[in-house]
Amino acid sequence: MSREAYQVPSMGAQNAFGTDAGFGGAMAVDNPSVVYLCGECSARVPLKRGDQIRCKDCGHRVLYKERTKRMVQFEAR
Amino acid sequence: MPESVHSQDQDQPMADEVAAEVDPITLDDKHIVVLPGATETAASFQFEGEGHTMGNALRYAVMKNPAVEFCGYTIPHPSDAKMHFRIQTTDSTTATEALEKGFNDLMDLCDVVTEKFTAARDQFNDEKANRMES
Amino acid sequence: MAPLVPSQDEQQRRRIIDINAETVTNIPSTDFPGHWPGESHAWAVDQFKNTFQVDFHRNDPLEASFSLIGLDAAVANAFRRILMAEIPTLAIESVFVHNNTSVIQDEVLAQRLGLVPLKGSVEGLNWMHWFRKPGEDEDGSNASEPSDFNTVILRLDVECTKNPEADENEQDPRKLYNNAHVYAKDMTFHAVGRQESYFVDEGAIRPVHPEILLAKMRPGQKIDVEMHCNKGIGADHAKFSPVATATYRLLPDIKILRPIIGDDAKKFAKCFPKGVIGLEPVTAQEAGRGGSGYEGHAGEQKAVVQDPFKDTVSRECLRYDEFQGKVKLGRVRDHFIFNVESTGQFDSDVLFLEAVKVMKLKCARWKRGLNDLMA
Repeated sequence: MSREAYQVPSMGAQNAFGTDAGFGGAMAVDNPSVVYLCGECSARVPLKRGDQIRCKDCGHRVLYKERTKRMVQFEAR
Repeated sequence: MPESVHSQDQDQPMADEVAAEVDPITLDDKHIVVLPGATETAASFQFEGEGHTMGNALRYAVMKNPAVEFCGYTIPHPSDAKMHFRIQTTDSTTATEALEKGFNDLMDLCDVVTEKFTAARDQFNDEKANRMES
Repeated sequence: MAPLVPSQDEQQRRRIIDINAETVTNIPSTDFPGHWPGESHAWAVDQFKNTFQVDFHRNDPLEASFSLIGLDAAVANAFRRILMAEIPTLAIESVFVHNNTSVIQDEVLAQRLGLVPLKGSVEGLNWMHWFRKPGEDEDGSNASEPSDFNTVILRLDVECTKNPEADENEQDPRKLYNNAHVYAKDMTFHAVGRQESYFVDEGAIRPVHPEILLAKMRPGQKIDVEMHCNKGIGADHAKFSPVATATYRLLPDIKILRPIIGDDAKKFAKCFPKGVIGLEPVTAQEAGRGGSGYEGHAGEQKAVVQDPFKDTVSRECLRYDEFQGKVKLGRVRDHFIFNVESTGQFDSDVLFLEAVKVMKLKCARWKRGLNDLMA
């Protein structure tokens, strides 16, 4: 029962936690853009891997994730 | 969700005339349990999912029976929804009979209250309407 | 041997709960067989029918006040408890958040929505059944499917935008933007199946108070939620309670034992809320009667009990030496002044009748359980 050795995160070690179907895997294959919202001007900022984290309109460096598109169920209590 | 709020589909044997215009708290297959140590004239009944609402009202109704020597109720622990109901009677009746009479008397009381309340309300509404007109 | 009947005085004494300077005495009811030797007190419906009285003071949809006279506290309390906790009503139970970019968090919004009182056709509400949620410990085989007879669907789909017509210097966000405030009236009802015949026009499911503020937004923010309303009871969650308050108090009783005259009478009246104690001149006849305590006080003001109903039973008057032994405070044991405030789903008077009905149903069900036990 030896503990797993620490793996330095790198591009190559992307799939250390799951082989194929993981989010990271899809990322590595398609390299799609993910939309963020600018913290300053609320503009939609599509970013790809390796892009500079910066709003294309105002140059602000704080970006937020969009809210999930999934339905979320709550109990009204 | 408390035990009392159940689908009413399972409460079909509602032959009583009071049945289902509104379907409030249903009972499912809950029964009254007789606690150990009961005799004909002295018994403790366990009501599941019941509290002071019925406990105290029923105690009043049962105590109104002259054949009942002792009647009392307790909720042994606040975190289980159980009510214990003790009846001791004279030899002229049994504890179960006294309990049944208690239910009957309470239902009669409810009828009288409904009747008088409806009459008083209708009278009040009529008087109010008359006052408005004049 | 015919049972003894206590004297009028004795009966009156038993009806009053004594309120003393520092104690309350004569509290428990004693009208049970065996308590008073020789007296009956056995349950008799006919006698109850003769003695029980209902007296209405007020009857509005949202508030009713009435007296029940001749009832035991155990029964009156049962009605009150049922009124608050066991009459089924419709309320928002599940909230499906499709989108919410406003600053109010989903779970907070959901909780808020649940508390909004709803109303609709009473006939339709009575027609509706329980919705049984899948429990955590069971396989869900007993759970209900959402159907027209157990689930009402409401939607809230609002987006805040800038108002192009707003004045340049406008400061009020409600004029500056569209939908800056989200109100209960923004919820829309979507009838399904047989609901289309029950909940139409005036009978549609809608909030009792359209102006309840649910959330605030700024341009670009959006709320899109679907709500499922189910029937439930107050014992499960307060949002299902059909009443805002359901209370009773006992009718206060004030007895002036010895005359209170002149300035004392004014001071005495000030110990009570307005209208409880009145002042009347002592008549010549009273003043002429020896030993009445009014001798030589003809024409002076004396204190009389005008309307004990308005009293709050403060014991202020018992604190003064000059009233010592002259007044007796109490409450009438079997005179319950009920006050029922409905949240709006049902009329207040209907709620009380409903409570009596629930009580009877409970009795019938337990009695059936008892019969099963015997079988």
